[in-house]
Amino acid sequence: MIRSRNRSVTDRRSFLKVTTGAAAALLAAPNINTSRAASSELVLVTWGGNYRQGIEDGLVKPFTKETGIRVTVLDTPDMAKVKAQITTNNVQWDVFDAPGSMGASGAFHGYWEELPSGLFDDNDLLLPKQKYLVPFYTFAGGIAYDPARYPEGKHPKTFANYFNVGAFPGRRTLRSRAMETLELALLGDGVAPADLYPLDVERAFRVLEKIRPSVAKWVEATPQTVTLLQTGETDFSYTYANRIQASNRDQSTNLGFSFDQTLNGVEYLAVLKNAPNRENALKFLSFAMKPEYQASCMEAKGGAPISRKAYPLLSKDSLKWLPNMESKNNAFINDEWWAGNLEPLERRFKEWLLS
Amino acid sequence: MVTSATRGAGPFVAPAAILSLLVALVPIAFILYFSTMEGTSVEPFRTILKSSLFHRAMTTTVVVAFWASIISLVLGYIVALHLARQTARRRAALMVLVLLPFWTSILVKSYAFTIILGREGIINSFLSWLTGAQVALPLIFNRFGVMVGMTNYLTPLIVFPVLASLLAIDPALYRAAEVMGAKPIRIFLTITLPLSAPGVLAGVLSVAVMALGFFIVPALLGGRQDLMLANLVDFYTREVLDWNIASAVGVTLFALVGIFAIPATLIRRTKGRIAS
Repeated sequence: MIRSRNRSVTDRRSFLKVTTGAAAALLAAPNINTSRAASSELVLVTWGGNYRQGIEDGLVKPFTKETGIRVTVLDTPDMAKVKAQITTNNVQWDVFDAPGSMGASGAFHGYWEELPSGLFDDNDLLLPKQKYLVPFYTFAGGIAYDPARYPEGKHPKTFANYFNVGAFPGRRTLRSRAMETLELALLGDGVAPADLYPLDVERAFRVLEKIRPSVAKWVEATPQTVTLLQTGETDFSYTYANRIQASNRDQSTNLGFSFDQTLNGVEYLAVLKNAPNRENALKFLSFAMKPEYQASCMEAKGGAPISRKAYPLLSKDSLKWLPNMESKNNAFINDEWWAGNLEPLERRFKEWLLS
Repeated sequence: MVTSATRGAGPFVAPAAILSLLVALVPIAFILYFSTMEGTSVEPFRTILKSSLFHRAMTTTVVVAFWASIISLVLGYIVALHLARQTARRRAALMVLVLLPFWTSILVKSYAFTIILGREGIINSFLSWLTGAQVALPLIFNRFGVMVGMTNYLTPLIVFPVLASLLAIDPALYRAAEVMGAKPIRIFLTITLPLSAPGVLAGVLSVAVMALGFFIVPALLGGRQDLMLANLVDFYTREVLDWNIASAVGVTLFALVGIFAIPATLIRRTKGRIAS
């Protein structure tokens, strides 16, 4: 009895030794990681699925081939994780693929590295580089429909049509967030794209109040903007040109998308503050904005290049899915305006949805 | 009865207890810390108490969790009763069927329900074919859709504890009742139901606790008004990046779980004492 107890004590001791050693190793691991990574590595956070495949084929592979820098591609840019990494001073991501709202919010909170000048050919960029962000591409939001059920003339083509339930009866979708939706409401009410900002918030909510009964789903998850149309759950849907392009190509649907009027959002690239591989990250940003890789990347994943010289390099089929950037009907989301207004407006919008 | 079972359990329970302490209590402590502005003020709680967004989400959460638990209990109890009456081999096969939806990703299932419940989904197309008229029952993007998605996920969690209780009932009791001339309904009400109560309690408790934290089902299958507290936590964590408020909502959700869990544990303990 006594012997067995003794043995159990020594066992416990050795057990403690092993476990504390392991715990210490685990705690030290992040630091080991970063010091090793400083040489020839890069961590890129981008979106999943086809999108990620396009980024890897069109951008990451040629980048590694040219520079020898190994790129770890991670899924799903998440601002909460950025905040956690920066506030705990344990930054593990380098390059962040940020939609407008996230890019602006990160700039607002000081989560991004300042971008030095000379990284890009500024004359070639359709939208200027900002202090913390470089525009990567634009995506076109607009009206999608099924031409088999709603032939030419029967479906809305502009946002004014979309908000005109009398002329175009049918079930619609809108997003469950203030950003984009408030813009759509104002454009739908006849505001000219040039006069959109600052947004007339009160007017936008009045317009939304009127359309509410015809909105079948306030969509939270972006893929649902397409699946609802595919299954006939809604008659028209507010979605994105590249999503419809991918659906028609990969799922052999035959959906239509109106380019008569689009609301264009900007996707940015940013470098996290104190990123472990800052130099490589800046190299990557510079590489991603070169005309040939802007073209190969957008060819692979959809989206409109920011580089002017990339357009002639795109295939005819890809150009068909891009909005005309010069058209007066098309509007651009103003991310800087949103940076200061996002929180109160999103809160008000959610409250309005629940009422 | 309870004490004899618990005596000497310490060393066996300790590793699991220490692990859960580390992986659960430490983060919870951090959330508490954040919700009080690093221990300096209760402002975040004051803010959410004044927010109508929070009040609505809170009401929705409690109502949805309540009904989802009740419906899952009724459905799960029937399944468990049926399973208890099968031979062991058949029961094992049927149990796999119960678990099958449980193993499927909730995200995939939620998309699948769009195809089943949609306006032109399987149910509505079948009804249209049957009646010869266009039927489009609103089965989705409302409270009904949320209930279907949630009970589909939660029912197996009722089946297993209830089944364990049912199988533990001494078959001699049934025989004795039959010999005495009791009708099936009376046997059910005086033997089956009271003796399966511990399983029911355990099942409903775990289901209610899970139901309070549902997130993806209300987002995909719910209507605009089906916003639950977990969705609100997500909104403040990822969109607004206000972690003090997010933590305050999380603490409230946690307290809500406690309100469900503590009385149930107490009831169980007194029951055990009576039984012993």
